[in-house]
Amino acid sequence: MGSMISQAGFDLTFKYVKLFEQGIVVTVMLALFTVIFGFLLGILLCILRMTDIRPFRFLAIDRNGRLRDGGILLTLSKFNPVSFLATCYVEVIRSTPVLVQILIIYHGLFKAISLPKFTFFGFISFERFFPGVVALAMNSGAYLCEIIRSGIQSIDGGQSEAARSLGLSRGQTMLHIVLPQAIRNILPAIANEFVVIIKESAICYTIGVQDIMAAVEAVRGATFRIMEPLLVATALYFCLCFPTSKIIAYVERRMSRGSKR
Amino acid sequence: MAANDKLIQVKDLKKHYNKGVIRALDGVTVDICKGDVMVVIGPSGSGKSTFLRSLNLTEEPTGGEILFHGVDITKKKIPNEKGKLVKLDLDKHRQKMGMVFQHFNLFPHKTILENMTLAPVKLKKLSKADAEAKAKSLLERVGLADRAAAYPIQLSGGQKQRVAIVRALMMEPEVMLFDEPTSALDPEMVGEVLEVMKELASEGMTMVVVTHEMGFAREVGNRVLFMDEGKILEQGAPSEIFDSPKHPRLQDFLSKVL
Repeated sequence: MGSMISQAGFDLTFKYVKLFEQGIVVTVMLALFTVIFGFLLGILLCILRMTDIRPFRFLAIDRNGRLRDGGILLTLSKFNPVSFLATCYVEVIRSTPVLVQILIIYHGLFKAISLPKFTFFGFISFERFFPGVVALAMNSGAYLCEIIRSGIQSIDGGQSEAARSLGLSRGQTMLHIVLPQAIRNILPAIANEFVVIIKESAICYTIGVQDIMAAVEAVRGATFRIMEPLLVATALYFCLCFPTSKIIAYVERRMSRGSKR
Repeated sequence: MAANDKLIQVKDLKKHYNKGVIRALDGVTVDICKGDVMVVIGPSGSGKSTFLRSLNLTEEPTGGEILFHGVDITKKKIPNEKGKLVKLDLDKHRQKMGMVFQHFNLFPHKTILENMTLAPVKLKKLSKADAEAKAKSLLERVGLADRAAAYPIQLSGGQKQRVAIVRALMMEPEVMLFDEPTSALDPEMVGEVLEVMKELASEGMTMVVVTHEMGFAREVGNRVLFMDEGKILEQGAPSEIFDSPKHPRLQDFLSKVL
């Protein structure tokens, strides 16, 4: 074998340009579907975490119909099983590696559920692509849930107090006062999550999704060159992520202009 | 005074935390009558803001009663005409109590006009056109007619607080609660806000005002409450409170602030 990086190595790599082209399409599709499903899951998780379902609510009221001012019964009355489960999900996802999650989803969940075997766009194998999207979306949903929740909680409590003091209900206050301000605040973080997903999708090659990284592995297997295909992959990921984050930064500046004088 | 003149009756109101270790309110009993301008004074941490915020249940008390038009609004369920227990519609009661905050709490993503029309339109109290007409005439009264299309960030502190007052007036409340309305203002803007409040008082609006403006308390208030450590230590007409204070804590407080 010659030097680590050589012109001949790049020439060999470029013979497989078709694989890289397909890899780009797969990576972009992965990121796109992941963002959509991840965002929907994030909203759902956020709603679940912020519900006010308290089956033991009655324990907070004492014999005279008053709110208790402390004690174990007051603590117990605040228990919300729905929020608890959603919180467990978020914390488990955030505290385990995405590699482990994706392997469990592929080898566990989608061995139990058999997916139809077909390809779309002529080269994307659904039975590998779909578990990849599911695993990434489940992961991203947990992070997006926290982003959305922190956005809502970042709105000053005085805003809700003012709205409620005018007679607006909890729901009206959320819809007209809190959410519009929260969404404006978290848009940059959501956009940033999109860039993160593009990069994280590289992990899907471990379950055989034909993305950019899979193209690298294919070239390596056929030519025994590794650095050249890796450098090509680096350039491709950079060309996907860098402009995306720049566009996001531009949109962000445009939006914040509106809220200033 | 006849019982039906009592707009709000507060009975033995308590707000305890940590099993009573901290007592923000410790048995406050007072009646607020129609047309009263009640000024609440006291050192910081005395519970005066907690008291005011409890009146429309922005703070939930842990004991006592607040009767608004004779209905105990601290209860989750109240008996209806037939004596059956029904859920208390707190939002309905809150519509009748306007509140003005220390930090204005205007909605930054809405224009001044939208800030004012949002609640009456969403709550179907007024049509959009009626609400806008009413908002404009109120803005006219506080000298801000030309700022209707502006956003809160474009206004000075004094202007924001005047908007906050007329925003609350849009719901035609029966009582206005002011929580240190001038404490976050530059000194030169305090006057313009007090002027609006004075005018409101002269029109007969029932008001409860937590403030450090002793001049306002003396001039506009008809009753003054002095609070410390969650209790009302002394109450009376402004002249009694300021000219012949009896409680040593009040004498001490006044000697520091006057």
